[in-house]
Amino acid sequence: MLWLGLHLPLLSLEAFEALLAPEQRSGPVALLQDHRISAANAAAAQCGIKPGCKRATALALVPQLLFGQADAGRDAQALLAVARAALAFTPTVSLQPPSTVLLEVQASLRCFGGPAALLQRLRERLAPLGHALQIASAPTALGAALLARWQGNASVAGSGSASHGGSLAALQAALDVAPVWMLCADPEQAQAMHGMGLRTLAQLRQLPRSGLARRFGAGLLADLDRAYGSRPDPRASITLPPVFDSRLELFAHAETTEQVLQGAHVLLARLLAWAQAQHARVAAFTLVMLHETRLRGAPQAPACTELEIALAEPSGDAAHLQLLLRERLANVSLAAPALELRLRCRHLRHGAPPTGELFPTRASEHEGLTRLIERLRARLGDSQVQRVMAVPDHRPERASVLQPLQAALPRAEAARQQLPDAQGLAKRPVWLLPQPLALPERHWQPLFEGRPLQLLSGPERIEAGWWDGELAARDYFIAQAADGALVWVYRVRLSLSAPAQDPANVGWFLQGRFG
Amino acid sequence: MDVLPSAVLPSAVSPSAVSPSAIGPSAVAPAAVAAAAQAACAAPPPRLAGPALENLHPALWRANQVGGARDPCFATGFGMLDATLPGGGWPGRALTELLLPHPGVGELRLLAPALAALMREGQALIWFDPPASLCSWALAALGLDAQQFVIVRGRDGLRGRARELLPAADTLWALEQALKSGHVGAVLAWLPQRLRADALRRLQLAAQAHPGPAFLFREAEARVRPSAAPLRLLLQPAGADRLLLRVLKRRGPPLLQPLCLALPPVLSNAARTRARQAAGQAPAVHAPGPVLG
Repeated sequence: MLWLGLHLPLLSLEAFEALLAPEQRSGPVALLQDHRISAANAAAAQCGIKPGCKRATALALVPQLLFGQADAGRDAQALLAVARAALAFTPTVSLQPPSTVLLEVQASLRCFGGPAALLQRLRERLAPLGHALQIASAPTALGAALLARWQGNASVAGSGSASHGGSLAALQAALDVAPVWMLCADPEQAQAMHGMGLRTLAQLRQLPRSGLARRFGAGLLADLDRAYGSRPDPRASITLPPVFDSRLELFAHAETTEQVLQGAHVLLARLLAWAQAQHARVAAFTLVMLHETRLRGAPQAPACTELEIALAEPSGDAAHLQLLLRERLANVSLAAPALELRLRCRHLRHGAPPTGELFPTRASEHEGLTRLIERLRARLGDSQVQRVMAVPDHRPERASVLQPLQAALPRAEAARQQLPDAQGLAKRPVWLLPQPLALPERHWQPLFEGRPLQLLSGPERIEAGWWDGELAARDYFIAQAADGALVWVYRVRLSLSAPAQDPANVGWFLQGRFG
Repeated sequence: MDVLPSAVLPSAVSPSAVSPSAIGPSAVAPAAVAAAAQAACAAPPPRLAGPALENLHPALWRANQVGGARDPCFATGFGMLDATLPGGGWPGRALTELLLPHPGVGELRLLAPALAALMREGQALIWFDPPASLCSWALAALGLDAQQFVIVRGRDGLRGRARELLPAADTLWALEQALKSGHVGAVLAWLPQRLRADALRRLQLAAQAHPGPAFLFREAEARVRPSAAPLRLLLQPAGADRLLLRVLKRRGPPLLQPLCLALPPVLSNAARTRARQAAGQAPAVHAPGPVLG
């Protein structure tokens, strides 16, 4: 058994700071719990704010201090995201609240090429979540958790260092010098031990067990034994839910979509960690913005706004998803300030991602094009990016239909055979007017822009559509306009069977131009 | 993958084309090109000691020479036009402005050979705000598969005052993105009227990341306004299946005489003769260039 302990020393502060804008994050920030400071960032610590001091004291030291409320639920969500990301490396991942994740990696070492390579990949995978890490490995789960917490404490600067207790004996030797407060459940217990003159775990172990159990409860002894490996320590592994659904309460009322984006980045990072743990890529996701309900100005404001973002090609690239979300959000105006965000995802594509290419190839070019089209669709709307579909119909206005481009563009090779033979075709203009333009008539000749059109070729008769009520009975001519450009005009055929024709639908019409 | 006709390959454009004497032999229609070359170089370049200036760097050319091109160019399919354009074709990594009095003067028949060659290579074409619906049948006759096109419309999204204040900001944004991405074979964009010069400048900068040609279609009145596009052409209809093409700006000396190109025909021969007779012009005023079907 080899356990990796991931300790997140600044978990609650980082979970809060992720909600802030970058300029707020660089200023002094502190977290409050029961009117006392529970954590402070580097800028605040520089001004002399320490965990444990009162709110008023902190305000006196730094008047512009930004306070956040400590929130155990928020911390648990952030910790869970880290644990899910770690599931990509081993199926045995368990939580050690409040801020430690434990991984059993003995079986994964060979797959990932040794502990050093595994650690490096683990750090890379966890980097988007933005937490400082202290990592230790040990033969027991609790031992790894204690070492990760303590070793990091010993040297705050080297918070990324990993200490390894290889054998059980080495672990016990390392734990013997560890301070006792790490095993204590609450500060009172730690105070009591300090008063008894207990400093290290070795001193604690030398005491009579019955007396210890009477004073501090049997739980302390059980933890001690588990850490030293003399008592079994079964752990329940976390499992991935089939549907991703994560909520995030924003720090301030988000009035602009830019502020929403800040929180959405956090959720997207969690979504990707969840997707990568099951070796999948995201195909579609939904961002729900929950609005402030009772707004005085807008009583009819909806309770929430949903943004559905569907990708043409599933992606596991955070930057691409962020870009899509940004373009989509840029078009949305919030009906009311958003309080809370919720990200849902149930559409995943499982399987290995496509191989990356070192040099530009046809495949990578096609992928780049797909991404470009996704970006255009996100900004302009799905209906504004279109493609032409040929429909077998004789009426020219119906023979080509514009459709929104839904999925990825078909590869050119696949569709090439469908190109009809150009030789036998009648001549058609490239440009078709959306509405045929009625032309005045003089001496049986159509006029265009005040000058007569010269008919050069024709007539070509098209008579179709009696079955759907849009009968087109027309004689088409290619004509030359006064400036020499060729246009496509038609004369509506007079029908003997229906003498009472709509007067707006009689005479000459211009339908196309030869581009 | 199809084997391209040799004229489409960029390697067919040799760097020696910078010297004016190289234009004549490489041209397809010698008679017309000789006139163009005469107009291009009135006087022979003065002899200088040492290496010729224009050989120092591929981006250098003399004011009386047609410039070369460092970037690949795309043969237009019209020999007369290829000989006129710097680099021998539609330039890649640069904007090409086509100024038209109205859509439908034969502009797509002019571009079709180059676009069809790009499509045969499997490259994508993106059309921004085309002025009317496209007829897939007509495009198939030009060798273009309309089902492969991506059509982007930006103008419908804006409503009310924003439409007047922001002249299709969406289209410009989308166009810039497409140019910057560098994954698009060719870009065709119909730009709004009264476009500001800085917007064009910005597009030209974005086009440097775009290896294919980028065609901007603008109104003919824009010819008096400055533009950052290195190549500007004014197109006018010149009778049935003919296109009059004036080079307003190129990397090289100004071209005084307009070119008259014979487009892929829409009309039958008889109908074309009839049209010319009716227009009161002789059947062959200009020597017709090579006609592509």
